[in-house]
Amino acid sequence: MDRFLIDLGIFAPAALFNIYFAVASIPLGFVFAVFLALGKASKNPIASRLSRGFIYAFRGSPLFIQFFMVYSLGLSFNVSLWKPLGISGFVLHPLFIGPLVLTLNTAAYTAEIFYGALRAVPRGEVEAARAYGMSPIQQFRRVIWPNLIRLAWPAYTNEVVFLFHATAIVYFALPVIGQQKDLMITAKELFERDYNAFLHFSVAALYFLAVSLVVFFVFGLVYQRLMRHMPSAPRMRYVPKWIR
Amino acid sequence: MSEDLAFWLSYLTNGKHLTWYASFQFTIFAAIAGGTLAVIFGLLGAALKNSRFLPLRLVGSFYSSIVRGVPDVLFFLFFPLAFEQAVEWFMATQICTPEAIAAQSAAWPPCREANWFLGTPEYLVLASVSLGLVYGAFATNVIHGAMRSVPRGQIEAARAYGMSASQVLWRIQIRQMWVYALPGLSNVWMLIVKATSLLSLLQIADIVLWADRLGAPNFLPTVGLVHDDWRWRYYLVLFLFYILVTLLSEKVFGALMARMGRGILSEART
Repeated sequence: MDRFLIDLGIFAPAALFNIYFAVASIPLGFVFAVFLALGKASKNPIASRLSRGFIYAFRGSPLFIQFFMVYSLGLSFNVSLWKPLGISGFVLHPLFIGPLVLTLNTAAYTAEIFYGALRAVPRGEVEAARAYGMSPIQQFRRVIWPNLIRLAWPAYTNEVVFLFHATAIVYFALPVIGQQKDLMITAKELFERDYNAFLHFSVAALYFLAVSLVVFFVFGLVYQRLMRHMPSAPRMRYVPKWIR
Repeated sequence: MSEDLAFWLSYLTNGKHLTWYASFQFTIFAAIAGGTLAVIFGLLGAALKNSRFLPLRLVGSFYSSIVRGVPDVLFFLFFPLAFEQAVEWFMATQICTPEAIAAQSAAWPPCREANWFLGTPEYLVLASVSLGLVYGAFATNVIHGAMRSVPRGQIEAARAYGMSASQVLWRIQIRQMWVYALPGLSNVWMLIVKATSLLSLLQIADIVLWADRLGAPNFLPTVGLVHDDWRWRYYLVLFLFYILVTLLSEKVFGALMARMGRGILSEART
């Protein structure tokens, strides 16, 4: 029991790294995803093709490979670009590359969710908005977006939890600098010291579970707020589909 | 021109590259074995969740929610290590003498005789089992949902024919649920394919590890072609490989769904 509590203490700062990766990439990914989803649905063939290709590529390949690819690309530009500019320490830092790749990855998954929601927006409402003479931007702002976000929110919650879980592999692909270790690296190092797999991995799992539950709780509150105009606000289930 | 071609051909078929190509077998094996096991564990989990006996039902729900609540990497690393330790612990209780335990200075294993050395084949099997366990939890939910999508009338008709509970389960529910389960199972399969990129974490010399080795900068002409950091090219190949596999899987599952959905009027076809 003592060792369990000690472990809890050791893992607390490590959990901050996972939380940092998630928090740094989710807002950017969200914004990027909105544009990607609109791009995929747009009538412009170039925008549509590009967004489709991006979404397909990043949804169809493992995050692990994406990390390696972006990091090695960054490394190969080191001598010619980053070094002369004097920013190589920043660009090649895991705390920068990690959120970068996670943003690209989550943007693709989120865009797919938003695209699905965009297609589910009631046609009649959009037509009514057009009949009122709203400009496309007004239509989006007043009619499409409020519908879209309400439709997409439960699935988006799920995606956020998945993204948080995905932060577990960041440091398996990127170099660990000094004491900057996330939950998985900490668990692995502690395991290599005393071979107590059950204790260390369980504590790491507990942190992941705890944060996931917090995410569900907070996003559930947001969902209730989004749905406050409904007669009986449908409560979000605490265990949604969990599939990405 | 032709010299260039011959040069690149010989570069791409040198020993290291051939080993790289051969290492695709690990990935393919892990994906297929993991996928099969995931379906088996999924069926088991769904059967547990459907059980009339409360503790079994709890076990099923616990399995499907806890395993999905933690990252797949964590379980993927934990299961092989824990299994290895469990076997070593069991061996230790059988063969370790007190003197041997006293002589052992390392933290693990209890004595040297109990040490179980795992090579690539063992790790590969363990990795497949843990993939099966993790994604079996996802499959449990898919299959559980699909079993409940089977029209009630079918089950009632089977009962009316006097089939026993297990007969209804095997002949009606499981036989008919695949149409409803396929879209979800195709998702699970995509997740498994993507998770096979993690094999190198278990010391298997898989495609990712070899891509890293092959692309690493080389400055010694005696070792081979002198080139700087080419890793991104090799990772790009892997990136494209996985996209291709996804594309192919989508096509196969699409064809499968069209075939399984024949004669069944439902949204499962689209």
